[in-house]
Amino acid sequence: MGARFDERRLAQAAATGDQLAWDALVDRFGELVWSTARAWGLTPEQGADAVQVTWLRLAEQLERLQEDDDRLGVWLAATARRESLRLLGPGRETRQGPDMSSGPPAPAAAAGSSRDGLLWRVVHELPERCRRMLRILVTTPPPSHEEVAAALDLPVASVGGLRADCLRVFRGRMAKISISAEIGDS
Amino acid sequence: MSHEPFDQHQGLDPQDERLLGELRRAAGRYDAPPASVMEAARASFTWRSIDTELAALAFDSAVDLPVGAVRSAGGPRQLAFDAPGLTVEMEVSPDGPHRRLRGQLTPPLPSHIEVRHAGGTTSVDTDALGRFSADAISPGPVSLRCHSTEAPSAPRFATEWVPL
Repeated sequence: MGARFDERRLAQAAATGDQLAWDALVDRFGELVWSTARAWGLTPEQGADAVQVTWLRLAEQLERLQEDDDRLGVWLAATARRESLRLLGPGRETRQGPDMSSGPPAPAAAAGSSRDGLLWRVVHELPERCRRMLRILVTTPPPSHEEVAAALDLPVASVGGLRADCLRVFRGRMAKISISAEIGDS
Repeated sequence: MSHEPFDQHQGLDPQDERLLGELRRAAGRYDAPPASVMEAARASFTWRSIDTELAALAFDSAVDLPVGAVRSAGGPRQLAFDAPGLTVEMEVSPDGPHRRLRGQLTPPLPSHIEVRHAGGTTSVDTDALGRFSADAISPGPVSLRCHSTEAPSAPRFATEWVPL
């Protein structure tokens, strides 16, 4: 429980006005918030807006959240999801099939010949549900099941199973293009 | 500072663990949060209000259309915020590249309002009926901070940040 104790102390310090404690929270959870926005298909520009509103709301609510600040990641992921959906608006269409508009930025798209680049492109060609799951899972540091559930609006108990399913689907796609998904194979 | 390994590796077989590790590396390479986004997140701290009651977002026409409503293109956005003791209703319309806000406080206590937005802070006062308007508001996150000018000991309120 050491990591959660640190987060609680940082949140308490930030609530008293400590900018450095706040910066440490941003470093700790910044990728989770960004990954949530990108998992929901926001463009980088939309993602920047959703991320900023999420952090502004946390700043506004730091004192109110103090009892719950060992679940800060969950709160941030849920808020990032709501803000992402707000920016997408009602009646948004679910993206089907390959769509690189939420994929790698243009220069990276050209790096598709590298294994990393290929893996990344295949993630974005998965069905929506699995694209979202894998996009969240690859956050650094790895999110907890509760954080994944909050980011994707899933029951916590379903996260493990969906994760396994989506990795299986990913391997299936890689096999179809005759590239091994295992490290060390050429 | 990271989660303990058990959090993530619950039930993951070694192959899946390795694959996720590769994908995580690819994510860091191709879709890390831009430095400007992280900087804005750090700077968000300076916008916090202390000693204010939060007026939570209760309605946003961008998300919560009433049942049967038809969304007209270009119609003003409607927002409502609730706190114990105050409701703030607001209509947002384009003002060139900026936004114009028209709103109403309930109860309609004469109040001073600070509109915090990407372009700075715009101060306005309500009229005797609790109505207010603010022009040239920059697009982006907005929060209103209000306090009654007739009852100085009344609580100060801040609306939840909303992107306009």
